[in-house]
Amino acid sequence: MEIKKTALAGTLESSDVQIMVSQGTNGLEFDLVSDVAKQFGEQIQATIEDVFAAYDIHNAVIKVVDQGALDPVIKSRAITVCQRALDQVDQPRWEVL
Amino acid sequence: METIQEIYLTNPATKKDWQRFLTSQGLANFSDQELAAIDKTFAIYDDQDQMVGTGSIAGQTLKYLAVAAAGTSKGARFNRLVSTLETTLSQDGIFHLFVFTKLQYEQSFIHVGFTTLAKTNAGLILEKGLPNVASFLAALPQKPASAKQVAAVVLNANPFTKGHRYLVETAAQKNDFVYVFVVEEDQSLFTTEERLRLVQEGTSDLVNVVVATGGPYMVSSLSFPAYFLKDDSQRVSYQTRLDATLFKEQIAKPLGITSRYVGTEPLSQTTNQYNQALQEVLPPEVQVELIPRMKESAENQQVISARTVRKAIQTGQIQDVTDILPATSLSFIEKYLTDLQARIKKGQKIDGN
Repeated sequence: MEIKKTALAGTLESSDVQIMVSQGTNGLEFDLVSDVAKQFGEQIQATIEDVFAAYDIHNAVIKVVDQGALDPVIKSRAITVCQRALDQVDQPRWEVL
Repeated sequence: METIQEIYLTNPATKKDWQRFLTSQGLANFSDQELAAIDKTFAIYDDQDQMVGTGSIAGQTLKYLAVAAAGTSKGARFNRLVSTLETTLSQDGIFHLFVFTKLQYEQSFIHVGFTTLAKTNAGLILEKGLPNVASFLAALPQKPASAKQVAAVVLNANPFTKGHRYLVETAAQKNDFVYVFVVEEDQSLFTTEERLRLVQEGTSDLVNVVVATGGPYMVSSLSFPAYFLKDDSQRVSYQTRLDATLFKEQIAKPLGITSRYVGTEPLSQTTNQYNQALQEVLPPEVQVELIPRMKESAENQQVISARTVRKAIQTGQIQDVTDILPATSLSFIEKYLTDLQARIKKGQKIDGN
């Protein structure tokens, strides 16, 4: 699936994660800012990229600012940002959940 | 529980409360020019309904951001404000934002995903979001791998004259490759699209020259607002250094630019100050080549200036400026003269840049 427009989901508040997605041409270009990037960076990236795979998105620029979010939070923010970026907010894809 | 809400500075009581809070936080520049630029303002109130934080949006720049340290965590209020401002901008389709701030707040912004574009002793500029400076650079035409001497010229070209042509030509003769960046800000008599087109047409015979707009990164209302508005010289000095540093670090370094060509500036004090800042900031990595301005003719020792052309457009005496315009610019002006004159009549300034 092609990214239709740049999208943002989540906030910068404690225990949340903010994800911005934009069109890309070079696979999933992942960028993470997090105080726990050293310990959990790979896990955060895997959680988000799994969601992108479920939406069949293979090219995107993904910018993530994490404030210590837990996995389910990361996953739900990733789902939201994908729906927004694909311009499909009115067609929730329950199977991804 | 603290609440965050949009506030309206058109309400005098709200505005007074907002100014009182910012003043207590050490922010005190409430010039009409700055205030007029504000689009939206948010504030955080504590249980006692006291303002404990505020932040504003002006275009794609965050402004008047301050949080009180007393009570809950200062960082939590700061993050909440930045987040709210960012979400608000995203609803308007703006995903790329900037902030100017003091050095001591650099880390707070980096912590929420900003990256530093340029830093001087007086302050710094950061950006966040997409498209960013990396995507700007990636979209530029590539220079050939063999190019060693690479020059840059930044022009407003309002409109493109033989003086501009002379500057670009000089750079093209002495370098392997030349980037010509046209100021993107659409505040001039000629629109950005027209200025870009006239520069492209007027340099199309120079094979080692590419023309692109400078994005928000070169002499923009972001990097150098005083270029477009009259301002005091201390602010001009701060902005010119910031713009020069941004060029050096974010543009020249990744593109391998080894020199920047500028024309001498006997007429405009602001531009002259800008040239001085370039000479102070860019070397030794980037050489500044100061090229004497081309004269109108042997008899008339007046330097060629786009302002002379704009004045001639106003009075309709294009025959006076045919000698200082390339054929491409001249035919454009002749074709659209009445349209250009109508813009001046409607209030477009032609004295500034």
